[in-house]
Amino acid sequence: MDALNLAILFTVDLLALFSVYLIIDIGLNIQQGITGIPNFGILFAVAGGAYITAGLSTRLALPILGIQTNLDPISENVSILQLVNPVLSSHPVTAILLFVLFLIIGGAAGTIMGLIASAPAIRLREDYLAITLLAFGEILNVIGAGYTPLIGGPPGVDLPDVLAWAGEYRFYAASFVLLLVAVIIYAFAGYVIKTPFGRTLKAIRDNETVARALGKNITHYRTASIMFGSLLCGIAGSLWAMYSTAVTPTLARFDWTFLPWLMILIGGMGSNKGTLVGTAIVVTLNKLITYYKYAFVGILPFDVIWLNYLLLGIITILILIYRPEGIVKETSQTRQPSARKTASKQG
Amino acid sequence: MELISIPTIVGWLTYSAFLSLMALGITLLYRTTKVANFAHASFVTIGAYVTYTLTVIFSSNPYAGLPVAFCVVGIVGLAIFYSVLEPLRRRNSPTVMLMIATLSIDVLLTGVINIHADYLTNIYAVPSRNILLSSSDFKFLGQPGILFVALGTLALCTAGLYVLLNFTTLGIALRASMENPQLAQAIGINVSMMLAISWFIGGGIAGVAGALIPLWTEVNPAIGTILLASMFCASIVGGLEQIYGAILGGFLLGLFDVVGTSDLASILGPWVAFYEPVIPLIVLSATLVLAPRGLAGISIRRKK
Repeated sequence: MDALNLAILFTVDLLALFSVYLIIDIGLNIQQGITGIPNFGILFAVAGGAYITAGLSTRLALPILGIQTNLDPISENVSILQLVNPVLSSHPVTAILLFVLFLIIGGAAGTIMGLIASAPAIRLREDYLAITLLAFGEILNVIGAGYTPLIGGPPGVDLPDVLAWAGEYRFYAASFVLLLVAVIIYAFAGYVIKTPFGRTLKAIRDNETVARALGKNITHYRTASIMFGSLLCGIAGSLWAMYSTAVTPTLARFDWTFLPWLMILIGGMGSNKGTLVGTAIVVTLNKLITYYKYAFVGILPFDVIWLNYLLLGIITILILIYRPEGIVKETSQTRQPSARKTASKQG
Repeated sequence: MELISIPTIVGWLTYSAFLSLMALGITLLYRTTKVANFAHASFVTIGAYVTYTLTVIFSSNPYAGLPVAFCVVGIVGLAIFYSVLEPLRRRNSPTVMLMIATLSIDVLLTGVINIHADYLTNIYAVPSRNILLSSSDFKFLGQPGILFVALGTLALCTAGLYVLLNFTTLGIALRASMENPQLAQAIGINVSMMLAISWFIGGGIAGVAGALIPLWTEVNPAIGTILLASMFCASIVGGLEQIYGAILGGFLLGLFDVVGTSDLASILGPWVAFYEPVIPLIVLSATLVLAPRGLAGISIRRKK
């Protein structure tokens, strides 16, 4: 019974993280897998969604809930939330509306970050772009730590708990809500990839010259791809902020850029199903490592968390060398493209 | 208000020498292997910990770590080349895959460095984070010795590289492998070995730069990652296709970073210092806007 309970708790906890990563990975897959834009700075959009949601959440919750106070929404955040949270837990409908509002804010923030990141992305080739975006990724942590009105500087800020209506079942309800959002986005992304828009993105990835010759505006499509991918990353950042109800300007490149890349790499780039598989594998693996690492505490003369880095680094390298196409290969929608490819090679 | 003071100039020259050394390695590896080596961050950090470990175990002078750091990180570079990049190169992996590879090497090495740091603390009972060795530095003309050693090392590395590339058979083979690997292979140059040598040299230079860091600023396992944006920026500003451009880029970025920050802070207020990490990005963006073709459309990178 105890073991079962533990397994259930583990899975429910896992599902929340899985949902957040699935959304990010879908966003990354649309940029890298479908369009071929190596966005090494998805941290930029994720942090944008998380920090802007966190910064606006208390400020917006106060007038919407009709709470009058002279306290400062950022620096006296904890005292304000003692007023806000009880109201939220007794007004589930308002709380859910706020949840949706914050999701929209996160998505909008992500889209804006995407628009900013697209400025270099439409000009530069692969490697310059990757370097620039990697550097971009860190910028919001700097601003978050330096500009206190955003999220209160290094100590961070707490968010109103918009999932508090579930009461003692908050832990389960939160995972369920996150999973629901992720499933909707997964289905939507699967649909978008099959639309003419998605096929155009793939055409640009496979042969830019041909796509241009067919009258497609490459710049327009690349920008749209980054903005759409960043929109999803922003939503994921916002979800993560609402789930953990606290945000500090310390979102790390390892967690929010390297892991998503590893996930889409393992799953197979360009495939929506592969993204799902890759996310499930890496999130579970990562969670198991963090869960079991305490078994090694005291045995090894170092913090066991670093084994995580060793292991994931080695796994990525092995995949790159032995199975770069990932677990689920991208399926072409018609037989036509491959036939055309051979023809063009011969011609 | 004094805009340019002696300490500012000393800070600028020292920082620029570091940046140039780091960028030199990045540019060299980019020229030979056509990959942005994100693991350069860890290379630098390893160099720093080599120095620190030697001073802890043998209580030697910090500068004695220089040649050791060169060899250690050079060998790390060699190992990475043969175990990761060479197999990928043989598979004709796309650039993005190579970049993910260097990113994962960086993650792997970050793990190793942190384990080493924890090990130092647990076994030798010494601090292994926020280390500063500048108290054991010498003084020359009233300035910290690191200023002269950093500039001297930069001059030595540049001169060494120049002599190697221009006046030796090995250097000519190296340059041939950079310019046209297929042709070099066809006339019997072992291109793979040439690339391996470039990884040894590039890694070694990064190690030397890292080895000097504890004498200049506080070292912790993230120091390389913190400097990564700046070193890449220096490398790009200098022009990735020109090895010696890295030095120009380093000094230019150092000027903006050190002098720019201190001057702006004295004009606008101390809050400016918070945003110092953003400066490389602004310089990077400005360069890319002013010279997008010079940076994006380099013929050397274009695959046929």
